[in-house]
Amino acid sequence: MAYSDKVVDHYEHPRNVGTLPKDDPNVGTGLVGAPECGDVMRLQMKINPETQVIEEAKFKTFGCGSAIASSSLATEWVKGKTVAEALAISNTDIVRELSLPPVKIHCSVLAEDAIKAAIEDWKKKKEVSEPAANATAGN
Amino acid sequence: MDFSLSRPKPHRLKPVLLASLLESDFMSAPTTTAATSATCANCSAPTGGAHFCPSCGKIQPLPRGTDFFSFFGLPQKLTVDLEQLEQRFHSLSWKLHPDHFARASDDERQLSLDRSSLLNDAYRTLRDPVARVEYLLGLAGMRKEGQKKQQAPPELLEEVFELNESLDELREARASGGTAAAMAGLRAKLEAAQHKFEASLAAVDQELARVSAEWDAALDSGADETASRKLMEKMNEVLNRRSYIRNLVNGVRQELAES
Repeated sequence: MAYSDKVVDHYEHPRNVGTLPKDDPNVGTGLVGAPECGDVMRLQMKINPETQVIEEAKFKTFGCGSAIASSSLATEWVKGKTVAEALAISNTDIVRELSLPPVKIHCSVLAEDAIKAAIEDWKKKKEVSEPAANATAGN
Repeated sequence: MDFSLSRPKPHRLKPVLLASLLESDFMSAPTTTAATSATCANCSAPTGGAHFCPSCGKIQPLPRGTDFFSFFGLPQKLTVDLEQLEQRFHSLSWKLHPDHFARASDDERQLSLDRSSLLNDAYRTLRDPVARVEYLLGLAGMRKEGQKKQQAPPELLEEVFELNESLDELREARASGGTAAAMAGLRAKLEAAQHKFEASLAAVDQELARVSAEWDAALDSGADETASRKLMEKMNEVLNRRSYIRNLVNGVRQELAES
C-alpha cells in the first residue's frame, strides 16, 4: 500500500512537533492510543481563556506514517480556531484530506480523539482554577 | 504463492501419504462449525464438510463459514498440538496440491488452489500462539479497527509514551554523535531498556498463555456466553497491551542493532 503524497509530506515535514508546558492552566493535553497497532499520540493546545481561540498546538506521535500525518494535520487545523470549531473537526475530514485507506482510518479517529481529549483536559483545568466563573457560566 | 514451499520433504512424502490414505478421521469428519449438511456435487453423497467427498473422493468447495480451526478439523481452542498441526498441514498440502489437479476440471483445479491458499494462511496463523488468539477474537468481531474502537487504559498510555520518549532521546543523542564514553553510556541505557521491555513482553506473553488456558477450560466445561465474552475481553486487553510493548521492544532492538 502506498501512502498518499499528503501523508508523505506530513510525515517528512511534520508541523508543530513538540511539547507545551503541561501544567500551564491554559494548556490542554490529550493523550490517546490505538492499541491495535500500538500507536500513542499526544496533542496539546494552548487556548486563550477570553476568546476561546486555540493559539498554539503541538503534537508528538509514536506510530505509523498515517498516525503522524493525522496528528500533524490536526495541529494545523486547530490553530486559530475556536474550541467549538475544533470540536467540529471529524475524523472523516482527516481521511478525506489525507486520502487514508480503510485500514488506516483508525489513525484519523485517533487524531479526532486527541483533539477532544485535549479540549476536555483544558476544560477540566478551567473548572478547577475558576470554579465560580464556571458556575456562573453554567447557570 | 510458491506452492513448492508447502510441499512435504521427499523423505516424509511416503509415510504422510500412506497415513492420510489410511486414517481419514479429520478429513471426513470435521467436528466444528463448517457446514456439515453439504453434499457432493459429483455423487450427491453427504460430505460432512470434508476436503474430499468420502464417497467418490472428489475435492469439495469450501463450505460457507469455514474458519481456520474447522479447516484443520480442530475445535476453537487455544491450546494446539503443534506436532499434530504440522502433520496435518503436510498431509493436506500434499493432498490439496494443485499439481495433483493438473488434468482435473477447471473447477477442481480452482478448488485445489482455494483450499491450498487457505491451508497456508490457516497454518501460519494457528501455529503462532499470539496470531491464534488474535484470529479467534477476530472471528468474534472483537479486533475490528476503525469504527469499533479499542480503549487503552490511561496509565498504560502514560507509561508507553514516556518509554517512547526516552527511547527517542537516546536516538537523538546517538544521531548527534558524542564521545566514546557518552556512546558507551548510551548503549548501556539502551541495553537496560531492552532488558526491561523484553521482561515486560515475556510477562504479557505468560499472561496471554494463562488466559488462553482459561478459555480452553471454559470451553471444556461448557461455560455460558457471558463467561466466554469476559474471557475474550480479557484476551483482547492483553493483546492490546502486548502491541505497545512489542513496539517498544522492536524500537530498542533496532536502536541497538544500529548503534
